[in-house]
Amino acid sequence: MTATHVEASERLRQVLDRLVAMSEDDYYNPYQLFQWPDSLPQEQYWMSPELMSTHGVRAADELTEQQLWAISKWESVNFYSLNVHGIRELLTEVISRIYTKGFEDTSEYFHHIIGEENEHMWFFATFCLKYGGKIYPDKGMTLADGEEGDAANFLVFSRLLIFEEIVDFFNKRMGVDERLHPTIRQVNAIHHQDESRHIAFGRQIVALLHERLRDTSTAADLLRLEGYLKRYLRTSLDSLCNPAVYRDAGLPDPYAFRRAVLADPARVELESQILKRTVGFLVSKGIFTDESIPAS
Amino acid sequence: MTTSKSGIDMIVAYLLQKRPDLTTIDHDLDLIENRILDSLGFVNFLYVLEEQTGREIALEDVTPEDFRTVKSIKARFFDAATDEN
Repeated sequence: MTATHVEASERLRQVLDRLVAMSEDDYYNPYQLFQWPDSLPQEQYWMSPELMSTHGVRAADELTEQQLWAISKWESVNFYSLNVHGIRELLTEVISRIYTKGFEDTSEYFHHIIGEENEHMWFFATFCLKYGGKIYPDKGMTLADGEEGDAANFLVFSRLLIFEEIVDFFNKRMGVDERLHPTIRQVNAIHHQDESRHIAFGRQIVALLHERLRDTSTAADLLRLEGYLKRYLRTSLDSLCNPAVYRDAGLPDPYAFRRAVLADPARVELESQILKRTVGFLVSKGIFTDESIPAS
Repeated sequence: MTTSKSGIDMIVAYLLQKRPDLTTIDHDLDLIENRILDSLGFVNFLYVLEEQTGREIALEDVTPEDFRTVKSIKARFFDAATDEN
């Protein structure tokens, strides 16, 4: 292990001690914390309008406010459904690594992540089922094209970090948006509070795993991993626009509407805001060589 | 709804658009092994397929083998639908 690795490991250990203490201090019972009214008002926004896929896009110019309210409802159910599926992946990957070689120092904190993420999954799923009557299904399929060993570990934690940072962009804003129903604000605010810790951990472990990879990988290997993560960012952004949302909101041609949304310059602007912190971090750590992200 | 013939042509056109290094895709070519279709591109591909077939596709009803070649996609999602009609 090089001096840089020792220093990075020591930094990670200090961060872990702090995060474990914070998790213990902030512990709450989610099953008692939330107020779940029987229903939420249909004639208002369920997402901040500026964060909706329709914001500023030409294809949405002719939509009525009633249609936008409906899209906000189903788009929020899609957003929380994505959280449910993302957390399933997170839990699966973290549980498969806890107390295994290479994760000795992080296993104590993994317990907190697993516990907290389990609770997040519960309140996101509860919201979807109670107010949407369903969780939108995960449409992803794993085709045999993955990495192995240290590269696989790096990609797993990078994916989890990217997922958490994108979600947090929305949670942070919707958690304090007074236009939204108190239950919606609360779900987002509580998640933002917990995710701040998970993101702090994610950034440390991703940086450390990449430092280790740099010693054993060729430049071409690192570029391949960068290319993968950039495509993952693109896929994650695209997943926020779900044709089933537009169908459930009553739009006549949901697939064409999605294509128009993804191609609109206003969407590009929102995406750059969503990704700004994440891409900035990845570039600063040398994980990305530039800020470019592939088009949809 | 688009006809089956033009539907599968649209699928091939979409895949070619994603892989500009290719000019044609043999209907027996392994799309997964040749990385023409991969995990990260799958959801957007599925939406194109849903649009062309005119119906939602539930993942519990399909397997990776259904997407292995253009021929298997055609048989599973276009010809089968025609047979049902």
